[in-house]
Amino acid sequence: MDNTNEMLLEFDAMGENEGFARTVVAVFVSRLNPTIEELGDIKVAVSEAVTNAIIHGYENGAGKIRLIARLDGQKLTVQVEDHGTGIADVVQAMEPLFTTKPEQERSGMGFSFMEAFTDELKVESKEGEGTTVTMVKMMGVRDGQDN
Amino acid sequence: MEYELKLESEWLWIGLPVEIDHFQTEQIRQAAKEIMQKGYVKYVVFDFSKTNLMDSSGIGLIAGRYREMAVRGGQVYVSNVSDRMKKVLMISGLYRIVTPWEQVVVSESMNHK
Repeated sequence: MDNTNEMLLEFDAMGENEGFARTVVAVFVSRLNPTIEELGDIKVAVSEAVTNAIIHGYENGAGKIRLIARLDGQKLTVQVEDHGTGIADVVQAMEPLFTTKPEQERSGMGFSFMEAFTDELKVESKEGEGTTVTMVKMMGVRDGQDN
Repeated sequence: MEYELKLESEWLWIGLPVEIDHFQTEQIRQAAKEIMQKGYVKYVVFDFSKTNLMDSSGIGLIAGRYREMAVRGGQVYVSNVSDRMKKVLMISGLYRIVTPWEQVVVSESMNHK
């Protein structure tokens, strides 16, 4: 049997949906029996990407966020797309503590968190067109046999 | 309301929600701002006893209060921090500037819950 599974979700760029988005991904991967640690990691990573789309991509305005999650065996790929302002300098944006919104008490650690809590992170962006963040994480690796 | 704030003389106790994200921190920050207009706050205690998830928005919230307290000679404490939350606080470097509440000798007058 094919060991892949894919889901697509599109939702409004609103703070209320941050919890919704990360919960959807957590439920999607649940059949792999991920550890609590792995679930926590991916939820934080999704939260960061969605928050970025809301406050940077759409600058707290209206817009749609697309969330694609794909399972290939134990490998989870999550893609978060917005069609907002885009990032002029991705390398700079990914520097730890870099933030364009210190007045909103942004810590500048969003990408660092995504990097810390997943195995792979890719950010593609074009000014005026939007940003796509792709994260890869192996799930259910250590105690996939439990319960 | 998933979070809770209590003001007691110069102490502000913030009971954090189960999941701390950008959406939650906006509300907590606003609530903290309002309560701090009612009384002079010099010490903030963040209680993590209910919390199992925090993203970098939470780091911004704690760091922001840290800055506010630091300029008035106050302090920020974290309480009931799980290993998981400790990891998040460590990654951000915040764990170096906040004080674990449990290490503090709690006097009777500072009984917060």
